[in-house]
Amino acid sequence: MIVAENLRKSFRSRHGEIRAVDGVSFRALDGQITGLLGPNGAGKTTTLRMLYTLMRPDAGRVLVDGIDAARQPAEVRSRLGVLPDARGIYKRLSARENIEYFGRLQGLAPARIAERTERLVAALDMGDFIGRRAEGFSQGQRTKTAIARALVHDPRNVLLDEPANGLDVMTTRSLRRFLQGLKAEGRCVLFSSHIMPEVARLCDRIVVIARGQVCADGTPEEIRAATGMANLEDAFVKVIGSDEGLFA
Amino acid sequence: MSAWWIVFRKELLDALRDRRMVLVAFVVMPLAIPLILAGMSALGARKQIEKLEATLDLPVIGAERAPNLTAWLASHNLRIVAPPVDADAAVRNQEREVVLRIDASFGTDWRAGRPARVELIFDSSRPIQSGTTINRVRNLLDAYDREVGTLRLVARGVHPAVSSPLQVSARDVATPESRFDLAQQLLPYLLLLLAFIGGMQLAIDSTAGERERHSLEPLLTTPASREAIISGKILATAAFTLMSIVVTLFAYRLAFALMPSEQVDLSLDVPLPALARLFIVILPIVMLGATLLTALAAFARSYREAQGYLPLLIFLPMIPTLFLMVAPVRTQTWMLAVPFLSQNQLILRILRAEPVSATEWIISLGSALLLAGVAWFVAARLYHREELAASG
Repeated sequence: MIVAENLRKSFRSRHGEIRAVDGVSFRALDGQITGLLGPNGAGKTTTLRMLYTLMRPDAGRVLVDGIDAARQPAEVRSRLGVLPDARGIYKRLSARENIEYFGRLQGLAPARIAERTERLVAALDMGDFIGRRAEGFSQGQRTKTAIARALVHDPRNVLLDEPANGLDVMTTRSLRRFLQGLKAEGRCVLFSSHIMPEVARLCDRIVVIARGQVCADGTPEEIRAATGMANLEDAFVKVIGSDEGLFA
Repeated sequence: MSAWWIVFRKELLDALRDRRMVLVAFVVMPLAIPLILAGMSALGARKQIEKLEATLDLPVIGAERAPNLTAWLASHNLRIVAPPVDADAAVRNQEREVVLRIDASFGTDWRAGRPARVELIFDSSRPIQSGTTINRVRNLLDAYDREVGTLRLVARGVHPAVSSPLQVSARDVATPESRFDLAQQLLPYLLLLLAFIGGMQLAIDSTAGERERHSLEPLLTTPASREAIISGKILATAAFTLMSIVVTLFAYRLAFALMPSEQVDLSLDVPLPALARLFIVILPIVMLGATLLTALAAFARSYREAQGYLPLLIFLPMIPTLFLMVAPVRTQTWMLAVPFLSQNQLILRILRAEPVSATEWIISLGSALLLAGVAWFVAARLYHREELAASG
């Protein structure tokens, strides 16, 4: 389970201070898929970066399985499987070696890495390129490798930043099935997206973020009911205040 | 397995699969450095031999005025040739290295027993090119002078020793190893340069390159601490540089083994134990270089940016070499605490087969390693900054 409590983060820029995240709170439960939905620049990536301890919040707290991320960042990272916005893989290593590298850094024994790799190769359908060097991989092959290495240590919690970015329809469909598989295994899955239909189709719970703040949080039905809109799309536009950047 | 060791192994494997990096470190460097030094040395040695042993053409003005002298010179491996029209100009234009002029009154003075005058025309501003030739002619004239003087004293019944109140005997303490030439000055610099920035490619690739390829952020999502990650990268850079140096030193040794011995300056032929000592001397520089390169490259946003300013570091090892060329001073203990200056001095002393005391070893290794440690600490602190990974 992942809990965000009143997270705040500002950045200094030439034009003064920018409040990227301004008091975000939500919880993502085990056995559920939680979607972080918001237009581009809403603060989704910054929020996720605080969750996986890449950034330190100016205020607020992150708890992963009840562990405070500020106090035990390494422990929190070992409980998270993260697919960040940046998902570069090592081109001179094979897909398998890329996964092994992260497995070792997670402290897994070689036998366990091999066993986990086999399961992920089957689940993500990577059999035809697992032994090849990553130079020249397609976008889909790169994303699958990045997801496999993020999950090699069998984490209870899975964070994905815009996982469907740049993927074709077939790969998106298999990714969707994969996330549902993770949910069925009782994991806590949290992913961000700016694509409304994707979130609506997959998520048990939706957290809508705009301008660094949470403007709606609940099941799709709850959000529909709260806004009085029959159509989920209209409901989002109503909570965000505009449809800018939502369908890009 | 500790995280730094995992990162270290991965970075080395990654680098060894980069064909360009391997080519530079294990082929280009090991070929270039011995070739430059052995080539320079062989060329210098050959010129020296040529100038000392080849028949020298000596233009003489008024050779007919001193037939005995010219005949004597000709019997000492000189060929008397016709003088140029303007002797001064010919020497200044480097058409001739030296011209001998025999005075018009040479014959009369000689017969009268007065010192007869000969004039040597040369250009002292070119000691490297014509110094050997000038000395050769001058020594021959001195020898003729002494020979005839001795004969005259004997003819008058005087013991020749009367005219030599002073007996100067010279004892040159230079060992074959301590003879200095340009190639020898260059060796410490090339070694230090290789040690210091030999790992530049790897340092850039594993940090700035990692940022550019967007693989740093995923790496930082693992439990590995940032200290462990940067330590692994620094050590991989150092290990790669050391491998390159070992190959280069062996290639250097091989180059001298293969070259005909009369053609090279033997002082550059370093025996294996001395090579091992050289390796230890530059070890801390390898560590210092790897740390500084990695720390700096970690903050470049891209490969190109890193490549833009890292070559400035080339000048760092150059400073003491230039300093010593301009102001050659005796080694003082404090110098051994100054990185680069210290290594430069020790390399020269090892090449000259001079002893290095235990204290000097400790000062040299200790000061450079201490500095590397400080750089390491700073690099690890810097690696904690948030801007590092979150550049997107």
